[in-house]
Amino acid sequence: MTANLPILLVDVLGSVAMVVLGILSIFKAKSLRDQDPDNAVFLYLLWICAGFTIFAISRSFSHILRQFLILTGSGDIWHTIGPYTGAVNTISFMLVGTVTLFFNQSWRINEKILSAKQKQEDTSDKLLELNQTLEQKVVERTEMLTSSEHKARRIFEHSLDTIVVTDPQFNIVEINKAGVALTGFQKSDILDKKMGLKDFLTVTSEQEKILRLLETHEYILNEETDFLRADRSCVRVLITGGVDYGAFGCGKTFHFIIKNINDKKQMEQQIAQADKLAALGELSAGVAHEINNPLGIILGYTQLMLKNPGEHEEDLKTIEKHVKNCKIVVSDLLTFSRKGSTKMQPIDVCKVVDDVISFLGNHSDFKNVQMTTPGPCTGPLTVFGNEQELAQVVINLMINACHAIEKTGRILVETGTDDQGQVLITVKDNGTGIREKDFSRIFDPFFTTKPVGQGTGLGLSVGYGIIRRHGGDIIARNRKEKGAAFTISLPRAEAAHDNPDREKT
Amino acid sequence: MKPAVCLFCLAVIWSLPSPAFAIQLHMGNEGIIVHQLGHIFFMLSMVGLMFTINSKKLTRQKGWRLIQYAALFFIFWNLNTLAAHFLDNQIAVVRIKTLSLSQMTIVSQSDSQLLAGIYYFLKLDHIWCVPAMVFLFSGLNCLLRDQVRRSDSAGG
Repeated sequence: MTANLPILLVDVLGSVAMVVLGILSIFKAKSLRDQDPDNAVFLYLLWICAGFTIFAISRSFSHILRQFLILTGSGDIWHTIGPYTGAVNTISFMLVGTVTLFFNQSWRINEKILSAKQKQEDTSDKLLELNQTLEQKVVERTEMLTSSEHKARRIFEHSLDTIVVTDPQFNIVEINKAGVALTGFQKSDILDKKMGLKDFLTVTSEQEKILRLLETHEYILNEETDFLRADRSCVRVLITGGVDYGAFGCGKTFHFIIKNINDKKQMEQQIAQADKLAALGELSAGVAHEINNPLGIILGYTQLMLKNPGEHEEDLKTIEKHVKNCKIVVSDLLTFSRKGSTKMQPIDVCKVVDDVISFLGNHSDFKNVQMTTPGPCTGPLTVFGNEQELAQVVINLMINACHAIEKTGRILVETGTDDQGQVLITVKDNGTGIREKDFSRIFDPFFTTKPVGQGTGLGLSVGYGIIRRHGGDIIARNRKEKGAAFTISLPRAEAAHDNPDREKT
Repeated sequence: MKPAVCLFCLAVIWSLPSPAFAIQLHMGNEGIIVHQLGHIFFMLSMVGLMFTINSKKLTRQKGWRLIQYAALFFIFWNLNTLAAHFLDNQIAVVRIKTLSLSQMTIVSQSDSQLLAGIYYFLKLDHIWCVPAMVFLFSGLNCLLRDQVRRSDSAGG
């Protein structure tokens, strides 16, 4: 005989404990899963606990029932239902065993979930950081952009050279202040009327060359051409440009820089002209000197022979007349080449001009010519020089003007000073003007547009020589309205007198 | 083959009188063997769980270590019950005869006291499965505590 009580107590209490622990484990596992619903391992533990609890309930129920039935003498009933409870027991712990086998899979799934979660968190952190610093970055970039735009705008607006932006058809879409000044049009007119670069390039051959280069190379470099201004005058310019395919959705454009080289060109031409005239002066001086002496001998002998006139009196007079003409030409040549002697002193330009106008007013050629001045000469406009020579130059210019208006019309004589304090004398006419091709030759000795026999071609060249000797300059140009204008510029008396080279003999 | 022909063939076969060899007869011991196999399967799954916990180095955490102990105790419980079922159900060398609430006798083959003693111990199988459940509960408790701590620290 053996004590039954320990087995009975362990069996019943153990069964109850199993059920209680199973249910508590389920609650724990559920709390665990609630902490992290995405954790597959916690879900696995919940399933395991559920399996163990089912197993515990099934087993405990059968054990307690068995003890109860045996102790109450109902062993037969237990024999009947025992196999069923045993079967349920078997199924329950096989279920636990089966669920347990999925630990590895649950673990792998959980690792994948954790990895994905980590990546998501990393991405989220990056996005958060980006979002937090985005505003600051936008501010910084905007400041940089504004600064850059400001610099570019300043360069564009304040450039002394013309900067033009055109569309692919070379219609101007943007132009700076220098460009507006160069063209002479209003900026609004240029943009509203869709004026193109072609409108300003008047020389067809040069325009075609520039456009061809742009089409083939998409850039041009220092191409020299004439640029037509609003007042129909032309200036010489250098054009450099290239294509810009744009960014941020901007279309293709062309950018050009146009440099006005008109003044430089004119200066170069004047220097070349001065060099040429200086060479001619040297040559003329030599020739005139050699011819002057024989002419004097011929004239002397001719006049001696005329003291005893005979059958050749008329022939001798003809010789004397032409020799005198030759002497005048030689004298002019000597004057042009500075070989003559002059007396330099302070002279009033206003007085010279008034005397010339008064003198020429009595000349028959100026009978139908209206000689005007803008107003009374507001002197003193004193220069240091020779009054007769200056008067000769002004007379020469007036006579040329008279011929240009064909002795009928208007000649305007202006006096004044320029920004540098130079004294200016300008003779304007409303005649035919100077042909473009003649500009480089009008100061050449013996160059004349008058019919043969009506002019020696020495007037302007002699005048040029006189003015250069006075330290001044003569500039010829065609007027915007009609006719030509010759401007003599001379240094004021104080400045001229300071320079000892100015006094020539 | 047409469906009508198939149905006709089946009807002919079913109508022929012959023994039904397809259904196997099951003897009385089959239930206990299935039960024993179930215990073996349960035990092996617990062995697998122990090794898996070990291989993933989860034993560093107290919670998983306790769950591993629970698996170990379930292995012992399975061995205990396998032995008990073997003795009383399979080879029937021992059985309990309840005399009253406090008295019983263990009837063993050849009146072996050793066999009776072993069987008495084996009948106290709750000394394995109850601790196993305690370890399981404790393990879950530790894991929950760790998880709460982690959540709190992550939440700041």
